[in-house]
Amino acid sequence: MASKEKLFRALVDQHQEMVVNTCYRFVFNREDAEDLAQDVFVEVFRSFEQFREDAKLSTWIYRIAVTKSLDHLRRLKRKKRFSSLKRVIGIGDPSEEIAPPLHDNPADVCTDSERAGILLDALNTLPENQKTAFLLSKQEGYSNQEIADILKTSVSAVESLIHRAKKNLHDKLFIYYTDH
Amino acid sequence: MKNNKVSIASEVEKTMRLADEMAPLEVNHLFRVRLMQRIELESVGGTHSLDFRLAFIALLVIINLGSTVLSLQTKKQQASAISSEVLENQSYDYTNQEFAYYDQTNDNQTP
Repeated sequence: MASKEKLFRALVDQHQEMVVNTCYRFVFNREDAEDLAQDVFVEVFRSFEQFREDAKLSTWIYRIAVTKSLDHLRRLKRKKRFSSLKRVIGIGDPSEEIAPPLHDNPADVCTDSERAGILLDALNTLPENQKTAFLLSKQEGYSNQEIADILKTSVSAVESLIHRAKKNLHDKLFIYYTDH
Repeated sequence: MKNNKVSIASEVEKTMRLADEMAPLEVNHLFRVRLMQRIELESVGGTHSLDFRLAFIALLVIINLGSTVLSLQTKKQQASAISSEVLENQSYDYTNQEFAYYDQTNDNQTP
């Protein structure tokens, strides 16, 4: 048990930065990213024995990080849909209407918070595999091979996903700025 | 019109550039400490919930056994009540006047 904990501590030290930043790319929010990273490592600790060595340990951990982040975004989407439904039928919680504090917005990293919000909205309309490939490609430390391993696909498929994500993002932003 | 398109394209480019310019986060120095605390808490909470589950199962078993014993006892009492009733009826039947009448007529017929 002690050796497992020791090994786990070393694992956390080695990968925490990459895991937190991976989650951060998806959620654009420091607190949520750290909470998600904690969930990732708890999951790693629990299912450490189930890890099969047909993949690299780091790839396995980063795959958990991506899955948790996408789950979090799906939950947010559901919550948003549910609260708008509640608003329609008149049982909405007024506290949900209050805008989140500034540090909960992408503004804590980007100087132009409005621009970051627009980017996040556009990203959230992309298919999940395109979004994942695009966001991981923007993070230092992920090669296309590693992204392919995380997504369980080929390098050429990853390149195609990134290309399509960029094009879709560009088109969506173009439409947005034309309308506004 | 052309100027408008150019400004839109530049806005799009600026927005897309944000994804490249996101500065990496520095992980909180307490991250690992908090994580280990959470794991410890969850493992302690896990055994507590296991204890609670075991206690609940034991309670259900006791309730089940108790109700079985109770129903068996009432069945036993009912059975003894029925058998005593049957016995009473039988003894009543044999001491009834009608039987006495037949006995008497039989006695009268024989010379």
